[in-house]
Amino acid sequence: MTDAYLRATGVDRTFGDVTALADVSMEAPAGRVVALIGPNGSGKTTLLRILAGLLSPTAGEVNYEGPSATRPLGYLPQAPTFRPGFTASETMTFYARLVDDDPTELLDRVGLGNVPDRRVEALSGGMTRLLGIAQALAGDPPVLALDEPASGLDPGMSQRVFDIVQALADDGHAVVVTSHDLPLVERTADRVVILDRGKVVAADTPAALREQTGGPLHETFTSLVDADDSVAIRTEATE
Amino acid sequence: MTGRADAFWAVFAREVRGAARSRTYLLLALAVTLVVFALARAGNGPSAGYIPTVVDVLLVIEVLVPAVAFAVGYRAIADDAVRGTLDVLATYPLPPWVYVVGVYAGRAVALLAVVLVPLSILGVVVATTAGPATTVFASHRGVDSPLLFVRFLSLTAVFALTTLAIAVAISALADSRRRAILLALVGLLVVVVGADVAVLRTMTGGLVGVELDALLGLSPASAYRGLVFETVLYVAFSGRSSFVAVPVAAAGLVAWSVASLLIATLAVRRHRASSGV
Repeated sequence: MTDAYLRATGVDRTFGDVTALADVSMEAPAGRVVALIGPNGSGKTTLLRILAGLLSPTAGEVNYEGPSATRPLGYLPQAPTFRPGFTASETMTFYARLVDDDPTELLDRVGLGNVPDRRVEALSGGMTRLLGIAQALAGDPPVLALDEPASGLDPGMSQRVFDIVQALADDGHAVVVTSHDLPLVERTADRVVILDRGKVVAADTPAALREQTGGPLHETFTSLVDADDSVAIRTEATE
Repeated sequence: MTGRADAFWAVFAREVRGAARSRTYLLLALAVTLVVFALARAGNGPSAGYIPTVVDVLLVIEVLVPAVAFAVGYRAIADDAVRGTLDVLATYPLPPWVYVVGVYAGRAVALLAVVLVPLSILGVVVATTAGPATTVFASHRGVDSPLLFVRFLSLTAVFALTTLAIAVAISALADSRRRAILLALVGLLVVVVGADVAVLRTMTGGLVGVELDALLGLSPASAYRGLVFETVLYVAFSGRSSFVAVPVAAAGLVAWSVASLLIATLAVRRHRASSGV
């Protein structure tokens, strides 16, 4: 049994009259990748932000149960944006200084060590996402919450991002990631939580979810969520 | 283990570095330089001495300094909110007040450079061009001197820092760049004329037991103007100018600054607690 670093219990979240999450419970174990998947508007980002402590649940609770750390949780927003005019190295120096980390090492970990002097506005979308992941890693937080880290990236860059996600879990981090890329999720995640309209409709290992229909993950996914909600999900292989 | 001082310096250094690379600040400094030298030249103050020069530029400085302060500060925190940086920073050991003070201090360096460098150059021009008859102008209470101009610079710096704090608070309350612009314009109007009008309306409304000079100290622009009159231009008056109560004016500027930074801190904290998707 692996220790849970982060545990959500009975989480509800409403925005006015809209219920974004209803009675969601899950945990993020050390050394594991937990993927949150679901149609657009299913509550993935809301749940991730609640797990990251950026949003308070209307009901329920989220508890950090990991080791003591300067920065318990790292967060990658869905569309990371950095202050223009600064280089990748200067940007990372700012974040690293907040937690007494090494900016050069952080850039190296995500493969940006060869472009430290490039201005952030000159980085490609994939490089910007990698810089965001480097930021999330600053201070070596035990839990990482990554919001669609591969969204909008070409297959090669998506694979590279998920390789980094896998490496982080192998290093002992608890990684929670939202994604629409089911083939990559299937290959990388140790556990998949399927959300639909704010509720958990399934939570299990990719293998166990596949067994429900006998086909790939996207077949289980489409069988569990309303058909109208699932059009935005990428179900084609990336290779 | 990093401390709050390190976190402050990280934010401060980021702001200063950003300002140093911005052409906007250079343009602002050039604009301020042109305006103050044009005013001084039109009034012929530099050839007459420090006090006449202060008289020449004071009225416009009252408006110019808040305008520059709002230009420097209106996006200070709003930009970080729009980019999602505030959310990211919420996962770091960076208390909201440390972040706000770091942003404020960094922008303050830029603002003071933009405002004080042109005025200091003007002071140097006065020192090199004023004639020997300048002391006659100020013969009622004392003599014209560089010290008075330094006081004027100091008071202008305090006024600039106060209006910057207000601008940063407004920036923290804005949730978009468009709203930041709108709120900044409203804030500028309040600082430049609104607070004075409110004080005068309070007086005409029959508020008893409070002197006008004390009430004026509560308005940032009036407090600054009054302090300049009381501590710089007083040498030109035969009696006390009684424009403003000095302790009230000084306390008023400090109170505006502290309250504004407190509001900014609370706004950043509220953003962390309530931001949704």
